[in-house]
Amino acid sequence: MMTPFLAAAPVYGLPSYLLVSALLFAIGFFGVLLRKNTLVIYMCLELMLLASTLALVAFSKFNGTLDGNVFVFFVLTIAAAEVAVGLAIIVALFRQRHTVQVEELNQLKH
Amino acid sequence: MSTELLQAIAASNEWWALGPELTLACGALALLVIELISPKEQHRFIPHLASMALGVVLVGVVMNFGKTWGEEELFGGLVRLSVPGQIARIFFLLSSLLVCFLATICLPRARAPRVEFYHIVLVVTAALMLLAQSNHFVMFFVALETVTIGFYILVSYYRERVLSLEAGLKYLVLGALSSAILLFGIVLLYGAVGRVEQGGIVHTGFEYGTVLNFLRENPDNFLATAGALLVIGGVAFKIGAFPFQIWVPDVYQGAPTPVTAFLAVSSKAAGFAVLLTLVHRVFSPLQAVLVPVLSLLAATTIIFGNLAALKQHNTKRLMGLSGVSHAGYLLIGVVASLTVPWAAGAVWFYLFTYLLASMAVFGVMAYVAGPDDSGEELDHYGRLARERPFLGAVLAVGVGSLAGIPPLAGFMGKLLLFVAAFQAHLYGLLVVAVIGVVISIFYYFGWIRAAWFESWSPPAPGAVPAPRPLPAGPTFIGVITLAALTLATVLLGFYQQPLTSWLLE
Repeated sequence: MMTPFLAAAPVYGLPSYLLVSALLFAIGFFGVLLRKNTLVIYMCLELMLLASTLALVAFSKFNGTLDGNVFVFFVLTIAAAEVAVGLAIIVALFRQRHTVQVEELNQLKH
Repeated sequence: MSTELLQAIAASNEWWALGPELTLACGALALLVIELISPKEQHRFIPHLASMALGVVLVGVVMNFGKTWGEEELFGGLVRLSVPGQIARIFFLLSSLLVCFLATICLPRARAPRVEFYHIVLVVTAALMLLAQSNHFVMFFVALETVTIGFYILVSYYRERVLSLEAGLKYLVLGALSSAILLFGIVLLYGAVGRVEQGGIVHTGFEYGTVLNFLRENPDNFLATAGALLVIGGVAFKIGAFPFQIWVPDVYQGAPTPVTAFLAVSSKAAGFAVLLTLVHRVFSPLQAVLVPVLSLLAATTIIFGNLAALKQHNTKRLMGLSGVSHAGYLLIGVVASLTVPWAAGAVWFYLFTYLLASMAVFGVMAYVAGPDDSGEELDHYGRLARERPFLGAVLAVGVGSLAGIPPLAGFMGKLLLFVAAFQAHLYGLLVVAVIGVVISIFYYFGWIRAAWFESWSPPAPGAVPAPRPLPAGPTFIGVITLAALTLATVLLGFYQQPLTSWLLE
């Protein structure tokens, strides 16, 4: 059964949240595969992690267990660590090569 | 959930069970402090401190093997102590010890900062040990990410070099992609299992045992099956199985040699330790889905790895792609272990022989390579056997063991895996594996031939090739270590009883 999209006081069920989460995940996934700019790829990776986080919170709410909410903090911490290391690598690479486009970062091919 | 739980944990001395991991973590911090407070001319002793810490912990774990902690779940089910977990601990400690040895050869030559390298190696080792013993998806994910983020730093450790940084970026993007896929799988499992109340205690889909019980009752739940497949996909990235192997050659080539060895041995072994745990203790009711998926992965991985390695001339890419095919043989062992229980021990035996042989080969590679260790070609081995017969012999034994030549340990490892596959009636996979081994002999022998037999090659028109400098002679510790690795590889080929009786019971 479809929930009316613009009802006065909409109560969205679990499937709505999962749909949004799956969409975000798919956007992130295809962004990583198709985009050419390293920074945009990086944003897409974060989008994938956050899509998982949204699903986690939704499941946590509808399952009635708090563990999912707690796990979100772990995921956010890990994402922050990943960003710190990743941006450092991108900046170091930009200093050497003066580009962040993936098609120009291809010296490791024989 | 109040302080009573914490008091109970404190009173039960559960922290002792994690002594090795805690020691390594404290040791890692101590290295940084020692660097701060000690005078600069004494910094060259710090790598030895790291090796000593690893050695002490290794001795401690071996002495206490199977003594104190049986099949117990600690910290509210986060960690589970088991015999495979202990084996994994020993494996990772041994591997990291050898990585530290390789780093003492390579890092001074590259003029790279040293202390941070050993710091990260110790932290990653502790995380690897926790990963192999985790019993809870939160623990699993956090340990896995600690390992992965540590590896991002290690791969791009030569931060003045474009190749190292490029390898780091590639590993970062694909590693983060696989982590996100794995996380989504964990979330789906959590959502599918929901809230399970047992004796007044609420369990969730993060606990391995709860997921197992849920899957036993609903083996064809779509959400849970999708979650399980996504988790397996994330792990397949770590071991470099076929559709996820795309990062392997580039990252192996660009990374510093010690890190390449660390990735090839420890990271792969961690993937298999996790895969064995997941397949046996979490997803075992899903065999109808898992067996075809894993078999397909194994077959394509073997074929792809061997064919891609055939035309490689860069030794690190060769090690990477042949490592992909080794992952394929090991996957056969994982599939076989679902019906033949001792196959899990055979997987560990194979990993130990792979550890010995790979570390010997990487040791030789570290000595042969000049300051730039990303551009090492097979041609550079042209005079190795004449100029450094010892290194040539170590290389021949190591590569021969990787290829699976009969008297060496690698042959016994392959034989055990293939016997397990035969007992599990995986005849199709066996045929693919044997074809793969035959192909692999071709490129492995190309390497040995390059080192041992003079070959005339037409001079490149117009350019006189720069003469390669003589490979560095190994130091005393280097000779001892490489000789021990070679000797162990030869001995294990003739006399496997101690290791097999320990692993296969």
